[in-house]
Amino acid sequence: MGEADSISTVQAGQDDFYKKAVEKYGLSLERLASAYEADPEKRRDLSQEIHFQLWRSFERYDARCSLRTWIYRVAHHVAASYVIRQKRIFSALVSLEELETMGDKDQGQAFVDRSIDLARLSVLIHRLKPLDRQVILSWLEGMDAVSIGEITGLSPGNVAVRVNRIKNILARRFGEGVSYAE
Amino acid sequence: MSLILIRQKERELRAKGRRQMLGALVAPVVVAFFYAYGIHQFAPLRMLHAPFALALAWTIAGLYFLNRGKWRNETPGDAGFSTGIEFCRKEIERQRDYLRRVLLWSFVPVLLAIATFVIALFIAVGSAVFPNAIPLMTLVVAWIGSYFLMRAWQQRQLQRELDELSQIKSENGR
Repeated sequence: MGEADSISTVQAGQDDFYKKAVEKYGLSLERLASAYEADPEKRRDLSQEIHFQLWRSFERYDARCSLRTWIYRVAHHVAASYVIRQKRIFSALVSLEELETMGDKDQGQAFVDRSIDLARLSVLIHRLKPLDRQVILSWLEGMDAVSIGEITGLSPGNVAVRVNRIKNILARRFGEGVSYAE
Repeated sequence: MSLILIRQKERELRAKGRRQMLGALVAPVVVAFFYAYGIHQFAPLRMLHAPFALALAWTIAGLYFLNRGKWRNETPGDAGFSTGIEFCRKEIERQRDYLRRVLLWSFVPVLLAIATFVIALFIAVGSAVFPNAIPLMTLVVAWIGSYFLMRAWQQRQLQRELDELSQIKSENGR
């Protein structure tokens, strides 16, 4: 097989993987882009960047991890890199510790479970630092602690702790929102 | 996103990379301007050649060192092999190192060229130049000071992020 043939075979594999990824995870990728960028115009650019880098990455994909893990890793990396490049990490982004100390009106965990106000949820997610954002977004996509750990590099125990803390913060925040509305 | 759009995006990204490389030419152009203008204005002061030439060579060398990390400004193709925590760490380190390189390879030689120019002005005209030059000098000093402060603040923020990631990683082991 000549060099040109092997390049076209690799490219065909790359294209196939990409098509499969978009078919299966296209909507999740859009949600991910929304969670990293609120501005629609910039979000479109970020989404394109994610798709492009995903396609590029499949040149190196060797099934060492599952396709889903690979897709989420690359997508989160592109988005995190975007956040760091935009220097937003210096400004409005906060750690879980900081978020926990910002206001405190405990309205209960049940509120989060039964009422998901997506707009307000995304505002809160936009304030989180990339790693915590990866955890909460993966959790919202219905992943378990082990899968989230594969993507983020955190141990399942650490993931569970962080998810729990984020849920508590969200519960408190949503509680605050209700009391403001009342 | 269709594969046609992806190929288009690939071309756009290459063009963007080329534009960013052109942006890195600003420092050598500024130094070259001071060099040419300084030599033109103070032709008898032959000793000016050495610091100006040093500043110019410095920025030209800086084109390589400054952009070594920047040429790969897109997400690396093997990004999928790293986990979120590793990737964030690498990205923040890259950003921190880039800020350091900007100071060393771009800012300092420009500063050297400006200082050489000011010294030449002082030698040629004497202290009489200062009353007129004070507003401009104040602006330049303020710019240099605020640039340094801003960069130092950014470096501290990045270091804090790195420390935070290290702490998260150490919690992982517990």
